[in-house]
Amino acid sequence: MEDKQVMIRVQNLKKSFGQVEVLKDVTLEVAKGEVVVLIGASGSGKSTLIRCINFLEIKNGGDILIEGKSIDPKKDDLTKVRQKVGMVFQHFNLFPHKTVLENVMEAPLIAKKADKEQTKQEALQLLQKVGLSEKADVYPSSLSGGQKQRVAIARSLAMKPEIMLFDEPTSALDPELVGEVLETMKQLAQDGMTMIIVTHEMGFAKEVADWVAFMNQGKIVEMARPEEIFNNPKEERTREFLNRVL
Amino acid sequence: MPSISHLTEEFFRTLPFFWKPLLLTFELTVASVIVGSIIGLFVALLKVSKFKLGQIIANVYIMVIRGTPLIVQIFVLYFGFYKMIDLGQFWSAALALAIHSGAYIAEIFRGSIQSIDKGQMEAGLSLGMSSSQTMRRIILPQAMKRSIPPLGNQFILSLKESSLAAFIAMDELFSLARRLSAETFDEMTYFLIVALYYLVIVMIFTYVVHRMEKRLAKGDV
Ligand SMILES: Nc1ncnc2c1ncn2[C@@H]1O[C@H](COP(=O)(O)OP(=O)(O)OP(=O)(O)O)[C@@H](O)[C@H]1O
Ligand SMILES: [Mg+2]
Repeated sequence: MEDKQVMIRVQNLKKSFGQVEVLKDVTLEVAKGEVVVLIGASGSGKSTLIRCINFLEIKNGGDILIEGKSIDPKKDDLTKVRQKVGMVFQHFNLFPHKTVLENVMEAPLIAKKADKEQTKQEALQLLQKVGLSEKADVYPSSLSGGQKQRVAIARSLAMKPEIMLFDEPTSALDPELVGEVLETMKQLAQDGMTMIIVTHEMGFAKEVADWVAFMNQGKIVEMARPEEIFNNPKEERTREFLNRVL
Repeated sequence: MPSISHLTEEFFRTLPFFWKPLLLTFELTVASVIVGSIIGLFVALLKVSKFKLGQIIANVYIMVIRGTPLIVQIFVLYFGFYKMIDLGQFWSAALALAIHSGAYIAEIFRGSIQSIDKGQMEAGLSLGMSSSQTMRRIILPQAMKRSIPPLGNQFILSLKESSLAAFIAMDELFSLARRLSAETFDEMTYFLIVALYYLVIVMIFTYVVHRMEKRLAKGDV
């Protein structure tokens, strides 16, 4: 076995909404610094899976381990867990009543009670990193979708997470704005961030993913290296899905 | 029906008497809306909380206030505050009105809180903030802004409802009209005059609320 540090381990995860079983026995492992891209048809449970890993949904069965520690949503302090596991949403969910800079500073100041001046310096650096220094003092409503999503990424990074989850970060964007967000994410991957990304951008998956996992009806049907999944999928259902989207 | 000239004459003759009652009506309204907003915010937070007992208390409070006549509430609360805890006349009346409007203000706040996109709470949580931190820093500021227009309407309602304080011996607007008409047996004249007072204040206030609404709408996303 390789002695990679496992950052996320999902074991036999089950999640139902009422009578509907949305996740059926999902098992997944993500090592430090790896990028896993989740693909699959609409309704297959991709969002539910990463929301469970952020504990925005509470599992009905199985186990979720973050850095080797099993998390019990009833007992563990989820705010501490989520400080390690950032999340970026399809619809950005920026805070409209705060400026871009305030959006990025909010969580470190409030959740970590971090020093204000230092937080500000770090926030400005992050905005520079995502190419939005000059937008620090504007409100989110005046940004384009791509800029909003890059602010959301900077906001998440401000908590210095070990892991980042992305739920279709480019699906709400005009086509010409997708590239800038993917570029930012590629940067993150190169910096060694551990990431799980739900996306329909197959080109990005091919280029950036260490692993591609195909989900179907609440299960991970196949997980392999991108070249294998795209060129030589083992499962018939994977092949069908890829034929439809590629 | 009194003639226009008689009404005008009486309006100007009684003008000096109206100043103090007008002020008292205004003070009663402002005090009851401010205290009512504090009660309302607290009750709204109970309603949206996961705290079952809190939800029950909030629901019972709102049900009782909505389900009984205001004049009865005012009598019960006023005499409760006045006789049992000796709050004095003004605050007994103001608190009675506040407890009444608090139930309606609670519904205003609850509505605005629930109108804020679910993604805002999720974003706060995903950043490692607690739900109460997110509520305080992210949800409430946005919800408060949305509450301003309906709060303006509630202010207008409270202003009109404060006339019922005449029945607990407060010398506010309506009480003066009652006194003047009792002295002269010229009821229509004074009740029409006091109606005019209410109407003018409400119109001024409606205009202010309308302006605020427009300004807020502009700043919205
Ligand atoms: N809060 C909820 N309540 C009830 N059902 C839900 C809820 N969230 C998701 N579901 C259902 O769970 C199933 C999986 O949803 P999920 O959002 O995880 O799919 P997805 O793979 O992310 O799809 P998409 O590509 O459309 O985003 C769907 O059938 C959906 O209707
Ligand atoms: Mg989804």
